[in-house]
Amino acid sequence: MNRKQGRSSLTKRSLDKFFKNRMAVVGAIFVILFVGACIFAPLITPYDPTRLVPPDRELPPSAEHWLGTDRVGRDIFARILYGGRMSILIGVSSAIGATALGTIFGCIAGFFGGKVDRVLVTIQEFVSIFPSTLLIMLIVPFVGRSVPMMIFIFIITSWGAPMRIIRGRILSLKEEPFIESCRANGISGMSIMFHHMMPNTLGPVIVNASLNVAGFILSEAGLSYIGLGVPETVPTWGNIINAAKRLDIIQNTPMLWVAPGVAIGVFVLAINFFGDGLRDALDPTTR
Amino acid sequence: MLKYVLRKLVALIPKLLAISLILFVMMDLLPGDPLTRAMNPDTYGQLTEELKEQYREAMGLNKPLPVRYLNWLGNILKGDFGWSTSTKQNIGNMLAGRFPYTVELSLMSVVIGSFLGILFGYIASIFKNTIIDYGLTLCSVIGVSVPNFFFGIVFLLAFAVKLKWLPTGGRMEVGGATDFFHRFKFMILPIMTQSIGLIAALMRYTRSTMLDVLNRDYIKTARSKGLREATVNFKHGFRNAMIPVMTIVCMRIPMIVGGSVVVESVFNYPGTGQMSLTALTAGDIPVVMVTTMVSAAFTLAASTIVDIVTAMLDPRIRME
Repeated sequence: MNRKQGRSSLTKRSLDKFFKNRMAVVGAIFVILFVGACIFAPLITPYDPTRLVPPDRELPPSAEHWLGTDRVGRDIFARILYGGRMSILIGVSSAIGATALGTIFGCIAGFFGGKVDRVLVTIQEFVSIFPSTLLIMLIVPFVGRSVPMMIFIFIITSWGAPMRIIRGRILSLKEEPFIESCRANGISGMSIMFHHMMPNTLGPVIVNASLNVAGFILSEAGLSYIGLGVPETVPTWGNIINAAKRLDIIQNTPMLWVAPGVAIGVFVLAINFFGDGLRDALDPTTR
Repeated sequence: MLKYVLRKLVALIPKLLAISLILFVMMDLLPGDPLTRAMNPDTYGQLTEELKEQYREAMGLNKPLPVRYLNWLGNILKGDFGWSTSTKQNIGNMLAGRFPYTVELSLMSVVIGSFLGILFGYIASIFKNTIIDYGLTLCSVIGVSVPNFFFGIVFLLAFAVKLKWLPTGGRMEVGGATDFFHRFKFMILPIMTQSIGLIAALMRYTRSTMLDVLNRDYIKTARSKGLREATVNFKHGFRNAMIPVMTIVCMRIPMIVGGSVVVESVFNYPGTGQMSLTALTAGDIPVVMVTTMVSAAFTLAASTIVDIVTAMLDPRIRME
């Protein structure tokens, strides 16, 4: 009972700290707004983001088409809303995957130490030298362009950071008196690992994951821009900008790249503020 | 220090071998006749079946895998990376023409980006909680949040199309002078675009590490000794703050090398990224594989250099 109370007061303190940080709260509100708008896209816009309407080509922004239409007559605002679904989905699921994989390997490396640790660290160092853009180029010819492939590559190339964070934390936690007392009390290794060490590593990992969401959304945009991302039939923020590659389109239809670019910028900015607020709130040394 | 450098260089060898082994196995698993990749596709087209078999025998393509790997490794060290089916050139020659451009772009972006990022971060930490700090922090937050190719498009429109100060793309003037200063004009926008992410990330990181370091006891000691504020900040604070910052530089290098594909695409810059993209469209997979692996090797080398620079700053690392 006492333990429960202790925990909830810690949560409360973190929450208080988070809500005192104005930028973090604004960030959180923006994240919620964006996610909400993307999920409820059909309620916000009547247009189908993939339907081709030849007569409506390249319309300027108006009351019907808030951000105008693209070269094949698709409503840009609708494409941004529906595109956000996929971009955010890719960002979030890659971040969860990379964090999970990094947590598992980080725990194993830190807990067992010695040879296991050295092998895992070597593997991580080796994997981390492959730029994800280039790996995707390697894999695309064999499996084609798809959303799961992209998420897979993002996970493979970025589990290193959470792994290093967790490994470092566990290595230092191992020396702490409270872990020693657990051992002295005969608590099993697994239980020490999952009940006593893991909860103490989660703060920085959650922060890393939230910032990773931002990073993956940016990577997706870059890859889709050069035509290596998600198939063109699926709207994503990057795919919308992909249409604005020629100089004349860049100049004549600015909404095509400015609007999704701003959408990415604002969303990623919001996540960054949110993540920074989270870091301060979860870090017991800052007040 | 020399011992540390040597140890770092020796540690490179197994990693480079691992990269080459992966590349070899992937190439070996590709469908089709390996002879098409071992010789000029034009010559290959003129061969009879009998001659093909003789060539296979002569080139050792029928030998067991480990022997073929060693042969292939020997060829690579001589600059023979096999032939491209789409351009009918040796991939080694293609790389020799393109790779220096990408290396030039990536290295300059890393160097300029690190310098500016660390400088701005340092300034922000010295002028903590003033308008300078807030302004710089705002810029850095925007810099990490907006995709770099978006800045690329904006720069392209502003500096090349509207103001006409700089060329819209390419690498050098056709038939013009090829010395460094003439070529540099073509690199300014790509370097700006490429280094923005690094500048922004390093600025944030340098600022927070500096503030952390400046709170330490030894800084108080230095101050109470009566040292000048600038000496304390720079010699005692900055040098110690640099160690974690260099780690971030190291972690960002793969992003810069990978990101060059995107930047090259915005500015039509004829580096390896453009080369791989063209090859990919033509279905010429060996070119993509070789480029990826060579880029990974380059990333590895660049990271090692950063490691060595970090060790120069931190005597503790050298001792380990």
